[in-house]
Amino acid sequence: MKLSDFQSLFQARILAGPGQDDAPLIAALRESQRGAAREELLAVYQSGYRARLESFLYEDHPGLRAIMGDEAFEELVREYVETCPPRNPNARWYTTGFPDFLRDHPQWRGAKDALSMAVFERAIVDAFDAPDAAPLSIQALADFSPEESPRLTFTFHPSLVLLELSAGTFAAYEAAGQEETEEENAAEEAGAASPSLAAGGTEAIVVWRCNDESAFRELDPDEHVALSEAKAGRAFGDICQMAAFQQSGDIEPERLAQFLASWFGDGMIVGVSCKA
Amino acid sequence: MQKPAPLGYGLGLRPIYFDEIMSTRPPVDWFEIISENYMVEGGRPLSMLDAIRADYPVVMHGVSMSLASTDPLDMDYLAQLKALVDRVEPAWVSDHVAWTGVHGLALHDLLPIPYTSESLAHIVERICRVQDYLKRQIAVENASTYVSFAASEMSEQDFVREMAERADCLLLLDVNNVFVSSFNHGFDPVAFLDSVPAERVVQFHMAGHTDKGTHRVDTHDEPVCDEVWALYEHARRRCGDVSAMIERDDNFPPFSELLDELQKMRDIDARIAAERALSAA
Repeated sequence: MKLSDFQSLFQARILAGPGQDDAPLIAALRESQRGAAREELLAVYQSGYRARLESFLYEDHPGLRAIMGDEAFEELVREYVETCPPRNPNARWYTTGFPDFLRDHPQWRGAKDALSMAVFERAIVDAFDAPDAAPLSIQALADFSPEESPRLTFTFHPSLVLLELSAGTFAAYEAAGQEETEEENAAEEAGAASPSLAAGGTEAIVVWRCNDESAFRELDPDEHVALSEAKAGRAFGDICQMAAFQQSGDIEPERLAQFLASWFGDGMIVGVSCKA
Repeated sequence: MQKPAPLGYGLGLRPIYFDEIMSTRPPVDWFEIISENYMVEGGRPLSMLDAIRADYPVVMHGVSMSLASTDPLDMDYLAQLKALVDRVEPAWVSDHVAWTGVHGLALHDLLPIPYTSESLAHIVERICRVQDYLKRQIAVENASTYVSFAASEMSEQDFVREMAERADCLLLLDVNNVFVSSFNHGFDPVAFLDSVPAERVVQFHMAGHTDKGTHRVDTHDEPVCDEVWALYEHARRRCGDVSAMIERDDNFPPFSELLDELQKMRDIDARIAAERALSAA
């Protein structure tokens, strides 16, 4: 058998898992000197493949596991591994397609809460090793005259994404983390309910990286509008006017100044420039 | 062949130990990184690597070069690897006598090959191309395997020796893998060590494994066992001053336990050196 044919066969048997169709490959294996069945030795590769990929998904999606429940999550993970063999030589990217898999899944495609959590957790993972950029302090504004302030635009850290998620996603994620900690401490109370999401509605979340760790927080509606516009490159003066318009004049200029200060303080802004 | 200078006693750099390493600057001579874990765009992995590289020599160990695969070499992967090499300036770069997938897949495992003249010619040609691309010799590691093939025309030790000579590459001798494979396939691990071209060995890997009774699995989740320590001593006597390290990838112990294993290496090596000095006196 040529090496290429052998590798095709070996890979096919790993992907398919143990079964009767292993026979041609088993016949090509030497007998163990230690009394192990050849099927058992081949299964080291077959089971190792699945366990390894499943562990990546468990690591990246604790919140989704918490809201789906262990059994449903385990089944979904198993289906993903069977359906989506890895193509990237870097294992870090294996879980990237999981939210899309969920979105297209016949049983889960309508489960907005689950999809919301999957998208949120994807963003957290992606923020962790997104490209670097040095955050600016608010002192960066001192380089501009007061007359220039309406024309200021901001560049945000490459890791920063804005998400509109099902209401309660943030709280459910935090509860899942808490539950995990409790489990680790073997202190989980019997009958404790899985974290669940509030029915209906959406919430805005910003995810970015701060001090080398993924960070996230909820946004009030007015900050969400302001940050969305600023991220899209709209000038500060335009945002002030737009925010005032959208909020029917309820929003105060001081509040926008507070937003800007917090964006600087949280390490979100990496560039300031003045539109011509 | 230009064999890099020995680095001493090292550890596999794992994220769980980052903070302790940064705060205590432990007595470790060098660190080995898993290359793929740092083939990312930014963030903590790269910033921690830069910080550690500033104070320690680093070597790069890959798991996805797929040297034995019959798929074309993944030039995108190699380009990313080369970019990391340029950033890290490692003492050397290594990967395995293994393949990880074909038909565009990457199964994230080190898969076995039949030891045939076809496999040998194939892997030699690919090692040469990688070395040309990276403009440096690479070190290639013997992998743990759980199955062997009726089609094999030569032993693993003959395959590895011939591969190293023909490709003019360096060798990373994984002592635990020699033990695991020798147990699983019934060959003499000492004969394996004795057949390795010692002048090409640039690094030893030491690790723990799982005993499944009828076979052993290379899990890196246990301390190094006594049999592997005995083989280490034999390998050290044969290969001389070679950089040695402990790999730990799961069931992580307190960092001090890894330092204890490094000290055990140092103690063995000191004893060998003392015996040699006395016999020469």
